[in-house]
Amino acid sequence: MSSKKESVLRTLTVALLVCLVCSVVVSAAAVALKPVQVTNQLQDKQRNILQIAGLYKEGVSVQDQFKQITPRLVDLRTGEFSDARDPLTFDQQKASKDPATSERLDPEADIASIRRQSYYSTVYVVEDEQGEIETLILPIHGYGLWSTLYGFMALESDLKTVVGLGFYQHAETPGLGGEVDNPNWKKQWTGKVVYDESGDVDISVIKGGVDSNSPNAEHQVDALAGATLTSRGVENLVRFWLGQDGFGEFLDHLRAGEA
Amino acid sequence: MGVRAFLDKIEHNFEKGGKHEKWYALYEAVDTFFYRPGSVTKTTAHVRDGLDLKRMMITVWLCTFPVIFFGMYNIGYQANSIYAGNADLLAAQDNWRIALISLFAGFSPDSLWDNLIHGAAYFLPVYAVTFLVGGFWEVVFASVRKHEVNEGFFVTSILFALIVPPSIPLWQVALGISFGVVIGKEVFGGTGKNFLNPALTGRAFLFFAYPAQMSGDAVWTSVDGFAGATALSMAASGGIDQVVAQGITWWDAFYGNIQGSMGEVSTLAIFIGGAVLLMTKIANWRIVAGVMIGMVATSLLFNAIGSDTNPMFSVPWYWHLVVGGFAFGMIFMATDPVSASMTNTGKWMFGALIGLMVILIRVVNPAFPEGMMLAILFANLFAPLIDHFVVQANIKRRLARNVQ
Amino acid sequence: MAKASAKQVLFDPIFSNNPIALQILGICSALAVTTSLNVTLVMCIALTSVTALSNLFISVVRNQIPSSIRMIVQMVIIASLVIVVDQVLKAYAYSISKQLSVFVGLIITNCIVMGRAEAFAMQNPPHMSFLDGIGNGLGYSFILICVATVRELLGAGSLFGIEILPVVNAGGWYQPNGLLLLPPSAFFIIGLIIWGLRSWKTDQVEAPEFKMAPQTRAMKEAM
Repeated sequence: MSSKKESVLRTLTVALLVCLVCSVVVSAAAVALKPVQVTNQLQDKQRNILQIAGLYKEGVSVQDQFKQITPRLVDLRTGEFSDARDPLTFDQQKASKDPATSERLDPEADIASIRRQSYYSTVYVVEDEQGEIETLILPIHGYGLWSTLYGFMALESDLKTVVGLGFYQHAETPGLGGEVDNPNWKKQWTGKVVYDESGDVDISVIKGGVDSNSPNAEHQVDALAGATLTSRGVENLVRFWLGQDGFGEFLDHLRAGEA
Repeated sequence: MGVRAFLDKIEHNFEKGGKHEKWYALYEAVDTFFYRPGSVTKTTAHVRDGLDLKRMMITVWLCTFPVIFFGMYNIGYQANSIYAGNADLLAAQDNWRIALISLFAGFSPDSLWDNLIHGAAYFLPVYAVTFLVGGFWEVVFASVRKHEVNEGFFVTSILFALIVPPSIPLWQVALGISFGVVIGKEVFGGTGKNFLNPALTGRAFLFFAYPAQMSGDAVWTSVDGFAGATALSMAASGGIDQVVAQGITWWDAFYGNIQGSMGEVSTLAIFIGGAVLLMTKIANWRIVAGVMIGMVATSLLFNAIGSDTNPMFSVPWYWHLVVGGFAFGMIFMATDPVSASMTNTGKWMFGALIGLMVILIRVVNPAFPEGMMLAILFANLFAPLIDHFVVQANIKRRLARNVQ
Repeated sequence: MAKASAKQVLFDPIFSNNPIALQILGICSALAVTTSLNVTLVMCIALTSVTALSNLFISVVRNQIPSSIRMIVQMVIIASLVIVVDQVLKAYAYSISKQLSVFVGLIITNCIVMGRAEAFAMQNPPHMSFLDGIGNGLGYSFILICVATVRELLGAGSLFGIEILPVVNAGGWYQPNGLLLLPPSAFFIIGLIIWGLRSWKTDQVEAPEFKMAPQTRAMKEAM
């Protein structure tokens, strides 16, 4: 075709125009849709929390349902509530990667294999009319077989009976470790007691099924069939987050009524 | 010669234009099973040798007999030992096999007969299903492609039946062998053109498709509701100390008095069959030696490195030899002439690669305690590449010699 | 080459000239997003709209594009469209876009989109290019939906998330096939589809790269 089309000026003009039009379209779409996306993200997380706490109702807007839950920031170093960050926007996943907001864990203590522990964490509290804690929802994560599992664990007002446990993000083998998402498996966590009489963490995931007559049955959960390492990972991460490096200190303070 | 005469009489029905032309492949298979193939070499080079493909395959088949019989005995022995200690469990078993066994035998772990019959009730149905379903696909493809049914299937079917756990559901057996024969072999053009071992392909399919029935602790005995770990998974969780603590000695593992897939438990029985295969030169000694060397070297390396957290690092090579599917894979699977390397140097490398991979998977991989199946399939993939480099190196060397 | 009719442009890519089955393009996303039909369907719609629109826009400006920056201009247009689609999905189909994760973004690198832009849109008028984009999107969708149907039905016992075969873990009878939840299974299924397609339309069979020589003189004579 004509050499006019191939001239430098023309090439530059076309390039510039294409870039201009495209960038306008892309930024317009991004800006216009941003608010909807943010709401979506928030709702997704809130729905997860509601489901794990056993409060989720189909058909009612997530936002309305979530009103009964208050996010609170916890300083994991002192085990007390803190106002250092905004609990709604605090991103623990990001914070635990940043040396400024997290500390390296001692490999001995790091049974959940998470390497770095964020200074802060957002917990979710459901309070009754008197302002007493009815349900406490703790974010937990740790390494399974292939991936880090991210989830929540909800405790009753005695702070040792489990209301529910669930993971919203993981990449375990479908059909084996992936069965952590199986409702039947998650159901058996409900009602388990995670601390023993003297206040030490006592919960284990055991192979071959829990004998319901055993005195320890309330501290035991069936392992996932054929997924030894994912089961062990779940046990470790639950133990870690309930222990002194996780929320242990915070829970102690709560029990004493001084968080 | 009743059979011969009968076969000859009906032969015209199966030839081109006959009324059962479609079924020629089936006729041919039956004919040559009883008698020697009718075709002879037609060119100038005329080598007479009793060993054709059919005889070779039948020999391999016969060589699995020690493994089969010991496997059956052991299934029965393991199950009956459990029943002997727990009569309630026996009463709770509710399946047709137990009913069948009680017609012919009792449930005493001390009786050879009881154990054999018990094992047969588990092994034979699996083998029958393998043979029928796999054979069905063979005949379908042979008929469509108009070639003869290949005897290789005799070997594939018996090997497949021997490497599944005794408690496997029969429908899974059917699916597994279908996958092995169709995807592992026929899509590439049939026997001789497959680059993967069809029996292992079928098992790999089951392993990933139905992990609950192919791995874990509950599947290795025929007893419903009993979980018993294999020696290998005990070692994975607590090292050889834990295996020994369970009362399993090296000699137990060598004789095969342990739980596992039907055919893989007894290293002794495998070696008896293996000795015949090696002497008749059906199994290539270079591959077997390569696997051994690769395995021993790699496990010695891991022994030397050592690890505080992973007990598999310290497992010595002579334990690796007797637990899991190592011996069976080395003798019967790695030596499959079609999917192994063809060149002599290549066979050494092919074997060593298997030995290396099996230990790597067993020791380092957290998910699979057993690595033999995956190691062999992996090496199968590399066999053509190994051969290519061996041939290229050979060409280069000869060129260099010519220049001088 | 005679001018193809609109109907041919639209429907040929489904069976006769399928981008996945014949040209073996766009396989990665076919492996990754086909575990459930919902996700697959959204992916198919996303890819079809990107292919159609990029074909349309590139064809509109095809006479203005200097050949020296041809590829880059195509790339910029495709990339912009993909980002817009990604944003829309994040806004209106959040849970599915979460499952699709990077694969929507990876439409940019999907060979089908770029291939059609370069091979068709640069030479043909806008409306035909648009139809060609739709057609190739449909061809891609056809294979993906077949694969996803098999994988979701047999791998998880459901279709569109609705239980069809009650699975054992939930008290039913169906033992789901775990292999089908892993990406390699899509390879097998696509392979089987190609096998079926080529047995039906034998003109798609590739010529063998080499001929196997008969081993003996006698066999040679017999052949």
